[in-house]
Amino acid sequence: MIEAKVSVQVGEFRLRAELQGGGTICLAGKNGTGKTTLLRAIAGFLPIAEGFVRIGGTDITKSPVEERDVVLVTPATCLPHLSVDSHVMWGARLKGLRPEKERVLRLKSELGIDYSGTVGNLSRGMRQRVALATALLSSPRAVLVDEAFLGLNDREAFISRYGKLAKQASVELIFSSQDEVDGTLADYLYVLHDGLAMPKRPETNP
Amino acid sequence: MNWLRLIAIASLLLLLVPIFVLLYYGLGPFRDAAGFSTQVVRSIELTLFSSALAVAADFILFTPLAYYLARGNDRISESLVDLPVSVPHPIIGVALLILDSPVTPTGKFLLGLQINFYNTILGLVTALVIMSAPIYVKSMEPYFESKDPSPEEFAMGMGASRLRTLYSVVLPSSRDGLTSASLISMSRALSEFGSISIIAFYVLQFPFYGVSPASVTIYEFFSGNMSGGLNAAVTASAAMILVAIPITLAGHMFRKRARR
Repeated sequence: MIEAKVSVQVGEFRLRAELQGGGTICLAGKNGTGKTTLLRAIAGFLPIAEGFVRIGGTDITKSPVEERDVVLVTPATCLPHLSVDSHVMWGARLKGLRPEKERVLRLKSELGIDYSGTVGNLSRGMRQRVALATALLSSPRAVLVDEAFLGLNDREAFISRYGKLAKQASVELIFSSQDEVDGTLADYLYVLHDGLAMPKRPETNP
Repeated sequence: MNWLRLIAIASLLLLLVPIFVLLYYGLGPFRDAAGFSTQVVRSIELTLFSSALAVAADFILFTPLAYYLARGNDRISESLVDLPVSVPHPIIGVALLILDSPVTPTGKFLLGLQINFYNTILGLVTALVIMSAPIYVKSMEPYFESKDPSPEEFAMGMGASRLRTLYSVVLPSSRDGLTSASLISMSRALSEFGSISIIAFYVLQFPFYGVSPASVTIYEFFSGNMSGGLNAAVTASAAMILVAIPITLAGHMFRKRARR
């Protein structure tokens, strides 16, 4: 369960948002409405002027980024010098986790990672899949996906599969999208407009 | 008429004419065997060796500082980095002498640890590190700033510290930037005279017993303390330029690659 009530000021832009939900949350909104700002605030990369962020009952508002256990994935996220297999295991190894080989293979298969080589030489979509697998395998409290689902083949099916895998691993998932329709792929939908996050009930989802 | 191009070429010529004249006379009319003597070759070897060590130290000690400045907001540290190169360079030589003098507490402490700067390779390299590190940091800082922070944020989200992120995420994808900054700061170290003429006029250690750095040797020819006089100074200077040019050019070539 993620609970966040944040007020963030970035230059002239002020964001006020209140989120509450477990499983998969979709943040929808046009460019400049504050999706990235909200995700970066939750991840700890932007200071929160007022409010709190709690994940699974733990208050992480003042925790440094590396202690939050919240992974932010953007379209540019990858460690380009690593091989696909090393990349996928990177976060888990960093934390001293040893995920079962079968689980790694299943995750790769579910996310369509049937290729190898150096990550920097892959296409953007292939890199995004690897980064998303890495994030999930490191078993964080939450994975925040900032438009990193864009440009993937079979995007909707991928989001559903990823959300299901996150749930199985007890990882909260928040993803941003420019399209409210993507809310149907999530358990909760919040629509951002001019720095305000408004919840939409599932039955009102388009 | 492209006036900007014309002015740019004129400005460049202003910088390069003295070098070309020196190369012409040093390798032509003023060529003197003393300028290519074993002593000069050894002094160039010492200069290359000590500059390479200084750059290695720059890489190990100052890469974290450049990254810290690039990703932090520490204006004071950013200004202080420039201090060593913004004072007359002999001052750094004098400062190292005082730091390691037997009459100062720091000197007593350092000498107690057998750390002696005066006329040693250690002193020479230390002076070169102080004079080249600001150039290294100022080359690496904008390079780090220009890198997309997403991979770093990704790693930190999984629990990597800033230092771990630097070594595991940033440096492996920064080869061109590191090579460029190292070569440019090595060029700076090769050209140093002021500080090393005080702290390490010559070195008294294996394998460079009694050898002076190249810039000091050239000065010694010029001042008449070594036989050969002005002609030898001009010839040795030309030889040193020929050594330095490829390093400088390679540094800038890698800088262009790093910007891509």
